[in-house]
Amino acid sequence: MTTTIVLQQAINGVVLGSLYVLVALGLTLIYGVLVQINFAHADFVTLGAFAAYFFMHLVGGGYILSIAVAFAVGAALGWLINAAIFTPLRRKGNELLPLIATIGVSVMMQNLMLAWFGPIPYAFETQYSSEVIRFAGIFVSWQSVIIIIVSILTIALLYAFMKFTFLGKALRAVAQDRETAGLMGINPNYLIMLTFVIASALAGMGGAMLAPVLVLTPFAGTSVIVKAFAIVIIGGFGNVEGTILAGLIVGLIESYTTQFLDPGLIDIVVFALLLVMLAIKPTGLISERREENV
Amino acid sequence: MKALRTLFVSAAAVGLLATAAQAQDKTIKIGALFPMSGPGSYFGAQDKQGVELALEQLNKAGVNGYKFVVQYEDSSCSPLPATQAAKRLIEQFKPDVIIGEECSDATLAVMPVVEQAKVPLLNAGSSSIKVTEPGNPWTFRIMPNEVMQGINLAENASKRMKAETAVLLFENTNAGIGNAQVFKENFTKQGGKVLAEIGFGRDVNDFTAIATRVAGLGKVDVIPTYTLEGQGLKITQALAQAGVTKGGGGNAIQIGTIWLPFGFEQKAGKAALGYIRIVQFDPTDTRDVAKNFASAFKAKYNAEPTHLNAHAYDQIMLIADVVKRGGKDAQSIRDGLAATKGYSGVTGSVEFDKTNQNTKMDTIHYMETKPDMSWTSLKWN
Repeated sequence: MTTTIVLQQAINGVVLGSLYVLVALGLTLIYGVLVQINFAHADFVTLGAFAAYFFMHLVGGGYILSIAVAFAVGAALGWLINAAIFTPLRRKGNELLPLIATIGVSVMMQNLMLAWFGPIPYAFETQYSSEVIRFAGIFVSWQSVIIIIVSILTIALLYAFMKFTFLGKALRAVAQDRETAGLMGINPNYLIMLTFVIASALAGMGGAMLAPVLVLTPFAGTSVIVKAFAIVIIGGFGNVEGTILAGLIVGLIESYTTQFLDPGLIDIVVFALLLVMLAIKPTGLISERREENV
Repeated sequence: MKALRTLFVSAAAVGLLATAAQAQDKTIKIGALFPMSGPGSYFGAQDKQGVELALEQLNKAGVNGYKFVVQYEDSSCSPLPATQAAKRLIEQFKPDVIIGEECSDATLAVMPVVEQAKVPLLNAGSSSIKVTEPGNPWTFRIMPNEVMQGINLAENASKRMKAETAVLLFENTNAGIGNAQVFKENFTKQGGKVLAEIGFGRDVNDFTAIATRVAGLGKVDVIPTYTLEGQGLKITQALAQAGVTKGGGGNAIQIGTIWLPFGFEQKAGKAALGYIRIVQFDPTDTRDVAKNFASAFKAKYNAEPTHLNAHAYDQIMLIADVVKRGGKDAQSIRDGLAATKGYSGVTGSVEFDKTNQNTKMDTIHYMETKPDMSWTSLKWN
């Protein structure tokens, strides 16, 4: 086994892990603020992928701009669905209703996309997926470079937003104690809406980043969402830093399991890790007091 | 008296009308188990096009006074939904014959259900040997099975392509594993060496890690690949990115049996350069049945047909042929299918052996992807 292959698989793992992180961040954000699992998150990813695809193929736009379009489409859809479905259900006071509604939204979106886009896989090619940088026996596509750069930028911007802006601080306040934050003059409903918009925008953008990697069909997002859930649990539900670390670990596990064991064992290894985490450290890789998450 | 006569005349007229209506209402009910959701749903979409074209042609005049109606059910390329869909069809629609599924795992799950209900199942897309070995009196397959294709492919890889080494890539399903094992066995018999057998689940999206592993195996001549279209695209692109295959400047050539539809090359781009695979419908086929199908398909859909369209079309047309020979219900259609001799369809001839496997190998065609992403038919059979 050469060092080159070990290094190559490390790069592969980091690229894959970065994609998982983009998808999992939205999930963890929603859980952190609302203590709610969004089962429709995968479909926001898929819709983002299709938005980028059609922006490139129908409008003739470039790939980089299509990432911004997918971000905007995700944000708009997140706002719409939160306003039309989740907010009215939350007002009823039963926390189970919005959770069940996310399943309904997921099924509805999948079937709408199936009706609109059809079941035949789309080939999402960008000029960056076939251009490969080769050096010292290592290969990296420009697509992978873009994935890593966008992931780093996204994480940095999200971190800065949370730590240094008023809205970010207000969001953390709502996550810590929604009622007290409300008493302090923060509008929790506005911030819940903002959380949905940011999470959905991240999902849409994740879709645009994943589209050249995914088999693009109306069910594309579901193939990564199970891993994203596992990452959120391994990292610690609602914990952004934990999610980033867990995403990279899962990406590396996939690469090295493929190289040294068998790709058929990937899910066994990842979910064994999840069970171990639940058994010995259910709070996740980076455990904090819950109110400090997000 | 006059009133009584009028009553008799009216009754006779009603009776005649009813008989005429009954003659017109004679239908052969065909249940269609196609994947319409999930990763195999492209099968269902294309199968349906072939079925609808066949129905349009057949129902203009009917066959032996019978019209054909089809009820579609989503079987999802997966055992549990396929079983539920089959039961739904049998209980509610009460079909005379069922066509489908595409994926071997789903077909294998459905077989006991149709056998119990005594409804014939005509399959065109599942390659697992278990579909016809040891044999099921109610299941018929017109497509060559994995053994027929695998022996042929291994021999051609060794003798025509002079391949000495191979890496097997396959999805972890009955069909994927079965196809890979048949190739391995026969390629090894020819003196070839299999360097690695790499199976993966249908949820794998990124094949860069697998391509990296293949790249680290040294000189690889052929890479037999068995997977659905979506993952197939990603594998082909990843192998090219890793510089393993011709499309990425390497020397290895991807080969495969009947899995991928036409149009795959255009989607995969230059990564697919040199890909050699078996297809079961050759658009350059000069037989009238194939030419007529291709032109009718293009007229209806304004698109070139794929082997999936052709498979589905052939299934309906073969059933119509059985009806023409006297088939009218599940039992007689089953017997008619078993007695089929020398039937010539779009995808080739049909004649079943005692396991209900089509034995005619004129269904196999090889094609190679050219540098301009078009393909050329290799006259290897």
